[in-house]
Amino acid sequence: MSITFTLNGSPATLQQDETLASALRERLGDTAAIKVACDIGRCGACTVLLDGAPMNGCLLMSWHVAGREVTTIQALDTLPIGATLAQAMTEENAFQCGYCAPGVMMSLAGLFTTTPDASDEVIREALEGNICRCTGYHSILRGAARARDLIKEIK
Amino acid sequence: MKILHPKTLDATLDAIKAGATPVAGGTALQMQWSQGAERPEIMVNIGPLLPCGISHADDGNITIGAATTLDAIRQGRVPLLSDAARDVAAPNIRRLATLGGTIGFGAGCLLPALLVLDAKVTTTQGTLPLCDYLTAPTGLILSITITPAQRHFWCKTGLRAAFTPAIIVSAGALDISDGVIVKSRLAVGGGVVTPQRLNTVEHWLVGQCPDDLDPAALCERIDQNVQAPSCAFRTATYRRRVAALALAEGILHGTAKATKRKPPARPLPHPDVKTPPVLTTLSRNAGGDRWHTRPDMPAKVRGTMPYLTDHREDGMLIARILRAAHPHAKIRSIDTTAAQALPGVHAVITHKDVRGLNRFGILMQDQPAFCSDKVRYIGDTVAAVAAETAAIAEAALALIKVDYEPLALVTDPEAALMDDAPKVHSDSNLINDIKLERGDVDAAFATAAHVVEDTYVTPRQMHGFMETEGGWAAPDKDGLLVCVGGQHGARDRLQLARILDIPQEKLRIITSPIGGGFGGKDELTVQPALALLAQKTGRKVRLQLSRAESVAAGTKRNPMRIRMRTACDAKGKLVAQQVDLISDCGAYASLSPSVTETAMEHCAGPYEIPNIRTRGRTVYTNNGAGGAFRGFGSNQMTFAVECQLDRLAQKVGQDPAKIRRLNMRMPGTPGYLGQTIAPTERLHEMLDAAQASDIWNDFDVEPDEIAGVGMALMMQGTGLGTIPDDTAHFALRLQDGKIEALCGLDEMGQGLIVSLHAAVSDKIGCDRADIRAVFGDTGRAPDSGSTTAARGGYVVWRGVENTAPTLATKIITAASDRLGLSPERLKIVPGGVADITANAPIPLVSFSELGDLEAVETFFEFPKSDYTKSNARFIFTYAVTLARVAVNRINGTVRIARLDLHTAAGPVIDMAAYLGQMEGALVQGAGMTLTEDAMMQDGQMVTKNFDTYTMPSIRDTPSEIVVTAHESLDAGDPFGPRGVGELGITGVTAAIANAVADAVGQWPTVTPFAPQDILTMMTKGART
Repeated sequence: MSITFTLNGSPATLQQDETLASALRERLGDTAAIKVACDIGRCGACTVLLDGAPMNGCLLMSWHVAGREVTTIQALDTLPIGATLAQAMTEENAFQCGYCAPGVMMSLAGLFTTTPDASDEVIREALEGNICRCTGYHSILRGAARARDLIKEIK
Repeated sequence: MKILHPKTLDATLDAIKAGATPVAGGTALQMQWSQGAERPEIMVNIGPLLPCGISHADDGNITIGAATTLDAIRQGRVPLLSDAARDVAAPNIRRLATLGGTIGFGAGCLLPALLVLDAKVTTTQGTLPLCDYLTAPTGLILSITITPAQRHFWCKTGLRAAFTPAIIVSAGALDISDGVIVKSRLAVGGGVVTPQRLNTVEHWLVGQCPDDLDPAALCERIDQNVQAPSCAFRTATYRRRVAALALAEGILHGTAKATKRKPPARPLPHPDVKTPPVLTTLSRNAGGDRWHTRPDMPAKVRGTMPYLTDHREDGMLIARILRAAHPHAKIRSIDTTAAQALPGVHAVITHKDVRGLNRFGILMQDQPAFCSDKVRYIGDTVAAVAAETAAIAEAALALIKVDYEPLALVTDPEAALMDDAPKVHSDSNLINDIKLERGDVDAAFATAAHVVEDTYVTPRQMHGFMETEGGWAAPDKDGLLVCVGGQHGARDRLQLARILDIPQEKLRIITSPIGGGFGGKDELTVQPALALLAQKTGRKVRLQLSRAESVAAGTKRNPMRIRMRTACDAKGKLVAQQVDLISDCGAYASLSPSVTETAMEHCAGPYEIPNIRTRGRTVYTNNGAGGAFRGFGSNQMTFAVECQLDRLAQKVGQDPAKIRRLNMRMPGTPGYLGQTIAPTERLHEMLDAAQASDIWNDFDVEPDEIAGVGMALMMQGTGLGTIPDDTAHFALRLQDGKIEALCGLDEMGQGLIVSLHAAVSDKIGCDRADIRAVFGDTGRAPDSGSTTAARGGYVVWRGVENTAPTLATKIITAASDRLGLSPERLKIVPGGVADITANAPIPLVSFSELGDLEAVETFFEFPKSDYTKSNARFIFTYAVTLARVAVNRINGTVRIARLDLHTAAGPVIDMAAYLGQMEGALVQGAGMTLTEDAMMQDGQMVTKNFDTYTMPSIRDTPSEIVVTAHESLDAGDPFGPRGVGELGITGVTAAIANAVADAVGQWPTVTPFAPQDILTMMTKGART
């Protein structure tokens, strides 16, 4: 048995015994949608938006997503702050190997969509579930602060 | 697994009665599954039917629906609970996890807070106190009602600052009237600690006046009432102590008895202020036009970077590897019949399928591709399967019958050296034994004014790259294509060709892009299994290790024990040092012997010590597999050396800069091993930078913290040293309108691509966008050696220096021919070739119009000295690391407030890449110092995934990091920019250790620092 949900604006299905992450990466082969690094919800590499809120794709199962809307990094530009966030993170060279990037980006996309003027403290808390092994986080924080500035300019 | 979605609560209860497992957020269940619990056959989704939301009653009570998420509570301004929720898991988990689930699960960090809020649980069976519910759970939880007190306190202690399993959580709630406690509730819980109210202490407190309480006696009373077990990570004593200190602190808060700020112990004075050398601040703001966007950044930011583990094609088979069932055992037989017969299985391979050399290893080939007669560690490869689906491949693994005869384990490196120790391989467990003796050590110690001696211990740090090992392999004409993240494609090809027994020319190896390496992808990982499976099936085969398999199988930083004895005279001049290092290699050598050799080469740090006796041994055990990891022995040795320096300074009564300046090597003198050292030595400048830093100034910490500042000075060798071959091919050509840099290094995130763009555009005068880097592919790029040992920076620079002028001449000549202008009138500009006299650099002819130009090739040796008595580095980089820490008096944890890293490694090729390497290495080093250890017990992993292997989270990273570069080179220095991949990690542990000593007066010697040890150092008088 499977359930239906919306994936980046299109209908999609999830089996009852699979996670969103495994469905995307293994069943559908859509590896650009999601990265998996721990598969137990302890690193945030697989972060997607569920009805706009950042969640771990490796924990999301049918009963979480049924009838709801999932947004992956592929649909970043459909978010009003998406392109600005991408620009800011690029300018600050926020990432190194980049494997944590989709998750970090979606955590920040979720945050800035609801809280465009997030304080440094709130930005840090929003990223507490995203592990980055390369950067030590400071480039990510600079990128996020830059994104906040750019979003302010647009408004 | 089936999930029911009943429409009514009654139907839900019927389903539960019939055996269905209730699920709402599911996070606790999923955690249990990840730890091996069976998944229930039938679950019932209760979330949508349960009350949700927070309501405040007039009497002050607050009722929270069972389906309310912890995130809603975090945002909900509920007394105590909202603050406490901050420390529960991470935001993503809190958005799924529900309050009802937390209580139903009967454990978790929030329970102590709920207990002191006098929570009542309303279930389908009625309302009862939370304590009673936890003792005998009954009914389905509908809501929770809490009764806040006047004052609350809360403390969670875990394995790191955020997103951590709990070691112990304590909470308290007090009502105080006329200075007297009229109501008190105290509770502990979290992790393995059973949630419990501390009734005896609570009753005793009622009627007491906090101002009259004796802190020590109060702590003792609480300590005696806390029930807490030990676990692999922390002791029961520590848990009780932390709970007692935290609760006492909460009770005494605001009274005269509350913890007073405590000044640093300051065992040695802070240094005098000096004028700094010229330092470049590395940042976008300060960098101006030196700050560039990395070419790989847009794809990474948008998640489109195609990692090799991302590759999917229809018809690809999926591989799985059967690992050893025991850490040390003889294999009597392997029977794959049933696995091979399983429909959907295309191949099962074992050692019998290895036609060539069934061994690999960068230095010595001691590791079997597939074990035949015995297994030596828990990650050993025994068999592999290729099947149509992952499920079939996993089912096939379960059908392979391996008959083992378990052997005695050897897990202690010192015990492994005993004559009667079990042998991991056929002969001695000792792999190498590096000795050096110089001068009259015994006499020097006998007459020295001061001697310090200790044993420094470093952990089995895991690389923790986010992308686990994996990729794909495919038949490729009459050979094979193997695409697996690596750090030296040409060497992977050599090793694979030996295993497969086919000529290297038949193999094409693609190794980039890589989702992080740090040394952990230097050795072969899954390549032999993938290659053999692709060869046997004639099909494309893919595989990516699960994190748990990666943890068990992957190489780790070698745990080391370094016994060090150091002596100085009355003025602080070093006179003698004795070092005995034992490194745990694990089951196979890989690069471990070189790691020991590198550690021994850094035995005296950047100092001159006339009398030296050192010994370093690398020892086989059944503890996983050791190997390369950023720092490569030098960071471990620097930890010991730099702490010894501060401890001697304390004895002499000197500051840390003074004793270092007194003992620093003089530029131009022979190196530690007697070898020549490359010019541009910058130790004095780095020490000046340390003394100029404002990090030594007083700074604010919390009342329950003690401030400390420490430093470490270092020189870090680059390249592989004098003995191994260390050469590189490199080429530059004009192809399809782009200047192509052909370089066989790998992009692991360190910034190879941007460095190539920077170096080529700098030298040729074109734009960075005119360049295309070709790398990480033996089919397209030449062998440039390994992407290790901070050699990449030099290889890029030297390669470009050797080829760019000739290519530039060729481009100008081609443009001259085409335009009919003399070459003297032309110059290369962004986009093509322009008239030298024109004001604007507008190309008269574009690079694409010039057509392709043949590659200009170069081959060179990494610069070496002529010293060959042992392996010795020639080019060094110089740095000083400074740390500001705040040591917590409640739980003994160390918060890093600030890290400074001043570096001297020649001109910075690309500012962003350089800064990134430094910041990342600092925090990786901080992880090794404070929170990271891949723990093993009896040859098995204790830490199996990122839940208990705790790399720094964003809350663990220092609030402030300052990185600078001193970029000058000596006149005539021909060696250009130095590689900096390792420099950032070398001194972190030592700087933090010295800062902790500045705070508490004693030096922690075991990394990661055990908070219980630091607590012990502090509590001797901390509350008096």
